[in-house]
Amino acid sequence: MASLETEILRFLNEPSEDKFEPLALAVFEYQRRQNPVYASYCEFLGTPQQVGSWKSIPSVPQQAFKRSELRSFAIEQTRAEFRTSGTTGEGYGKHFFQSLRLYEAAVQRSWDFFRLPRHNFVALMQHPDDAPFSSLCRMGGFLADFKRECFFITRNGCLELDRLKDRLTDRGKPLTLFGTALAFLNLMEQAPNLRVELRPGSIAMETGGFKGSGRDIGKRELYDRLFGQFGITTDSVWNEYGMTELSSQFYSYGLNRPHRSPPWMKFLIIDPNTNEEAPPGEVGLLRIFDLANLWSVLAIQTRDLAIAQPEGGFLLLGRDPGALPRGCSRAVDQLLQLIRD
Amino acid sequence: MTGMKLDDRIGAVASAAVDYPWLGDLRAENILRWVALELGELLREAEPAEYGRQHCFAQPLTPILHVVGGNTPHAALQSLIRGIIVGARNRMKLPQGGLPEVDEFSLRLPSALRPELAVQLDPGWAQDAEAVVVYGSDETVREFSQRLLPAQRLLAHGHKISFGLIWGSLEQGLVDGAARDVFVFDQLGCLSPQFYYVAGDSEGFASLLARRLEELCLATPVTRRGQEIAAALRGCREEWKFRAATEPGVVVWESAGTLDWVVIHDPAAVPAANPLHRTIFVKPMPSELGSALAPIRHQISTVGLHPVSLESVRQAIRLGAQRVCRIGQMQNPPLTWHHDGWPTLASLVRYVDIEGLG
Repeated sequence: MASLETEILRFLNEPSEDKFEPLALAVFEYQRRQNPVYASYCEFLGTPQQVGSWKSIPSVPQQAFKRSELRSFAIEQTRAEFRTSGTTGEGYGKHFFQSLRLYEAAVQRSWDFFRLPRHNFVALMQHPDDAPFSSLCRMGGFLADFKRECFFITRNGCLELDRLKDRLTDRGKPLTLFGTALAFLNLMEQAPNLRVELRPGSIAMETGGFKGSGRDIGKRELYDRLFGQFGITTDSVWNEYGMTELSSQFYSYGLNRPHRSPPWMKFLIIDPNTNEEAPPGEVGLLRIFDLANLWSVLAIQTRDLAIAQPEGGFLLLGRDPGALPRGCSRAVDQLLQLIRD
Repeated sequence: MTGMKLDDRIGAVASAAVDYPWLGDLRAENILRWVALELGELLREAEPAEYGRQHCFAQPLTPILHVVGGNTPHAALQSLIRGIIVGARNRMKLPQGGLPEVDEFSLRLPSALRPELAVQLDPGWAQDAEAVVVYGSDETVREFSQRLLPAQRLLAHGHKISFGLIWGSLEQGLVDGAARDVFVFDQLGCLSPQFYYVAGDSEGFASLLARRLEELCLATPVTRRGQEIAAALRGCREEWKFRAATEPGVVVWESAGTLDWVVIHDPAAVPAANPLHRTIFVKPMPSELGSALAPIRHQISTVGLHPVSLESVRQAIRLGAQRVCRIGQMQNPPLTWHHDGWPTLASLVRYVDIEGLG
């Protein structure tokens, strides 16, 4: 299905609002034909062969990637596989690709769209060769042109602190720091006395999440510490909201600002009580439509709560509200997790 | 101490509980039998009772601090009533949202027996308490256990799991009872079943259970659920619907257009994550029940049985049950039950032994 891939690539390079829907519907029809798991799900839901709007395209729950191989191409054509972290104890989810052309284009064009700098890339992550199943490391690879000197976490997960300090204190040019929130926290904890005034134009891109670490700090505290140690102002700290199950990401900067998408992604806020689109301004579950997800499933239903913003984008309220107070009735999932730990 | 005699306290509780049938049969004569069963005459103020070769008094641990959760008012009122009956002064730390039923019940009591209630815990309450009864998560229990001195008695009711084991014919009475056990308290109590293992036609039972839950919820529909709870329930449903579409043996029945209830037939033996609020799993009876339940053995509370026989009771006890009952009665423990395996009144007193008295 090279032609559809090419059409989407063209859209990524030259987005046009009126082409989103026909492309989305074409991707849906393609995936329903080529992806037997998705086809079964659509049939189960009673989805008609043709739907009238991108909003009506059935979304699969994010957890589906842990249960099934959602592949819209023949298995022998698999060229890449990304895996979720598997920290929730249910095993890891797998996202298969026939080609990474769309994935790479989505990363590059997103950074173009949001005018994000790639100069002097400092990736607080492993080189993609050392973490072949990590979508984040591959993303870093695309942005850093796979230059090994840009990656500062070793194959076995250690921060290369001395080399990193040298890079941070080389005040010649602005830097682009990129890593998980946990990686930034590790850096600041391992070098608590490091104080660097990075050149104006430097940014930090954090991807949020402390999954599996048993640690957490608030976003404001993280951003304050990034300013305190590296002189990066809050509005120069970006957050990338993505997931292994997607091929594109949402971005926001500073605090309390909405996440926005590049033009080839759309989202709906779903009222969990009715499973219908929530009225404007209401809290609901985030459902994501990503044209670049050609090789798996276009539409993903997350468990993340968000509110659509009148000026566009959404305010992310929290990821996975599954861990709720449940009274005295023991939550089996928590218990099983404890036992696994 | 309250200054009121045992019979007066019992009378006051019985009178206050008249309009709370869900608390059980709290008529005075029943409470008296309960006291006699656990403490004999030891709680009587008149004179010490003979006890082996000595005499003995039971003195209340007082004050008692009750820390209760927001899941059901049932546990909070049970705990309070136990404290009142043994003659303690009672203080209760309520959940953030309060518990109106506790407020209302308290106002029905004579002022001498009314508990002190607060949403914010006064640190002095934990220090003063001779006994602390905690309902809640293991984290809450752990937090309180760290605050207390060894001499203070901690009665911890941490998280529990209840479930049912069904053998034999699937008659309507069984289905009605199974649905009722799920329905009551929105399935948030520690006695609420989270899953049923069924020998025989488990899918057929699941279908009947779904129909009965639908009838119950039509009669008493749930208003809109809070968004976080709704999100957890929706996430669970959508995941299992996907599995129903793609995995053999998984079937989902759900309330249409609402989050009132969902029945999930899951052929896997091991218990699945359950967001509660009337989410019930039905599973085929595994050949190795002990292995399937081993991960939750220490958290098992009530095991509902059908039928109740010596054989099925022994099976439940081997699995780790602390209470065994007929399905349909899981939410109705008798006054005299040993909540989480210990006597509910006798745990709230200290025994004073007196030697050399006549």
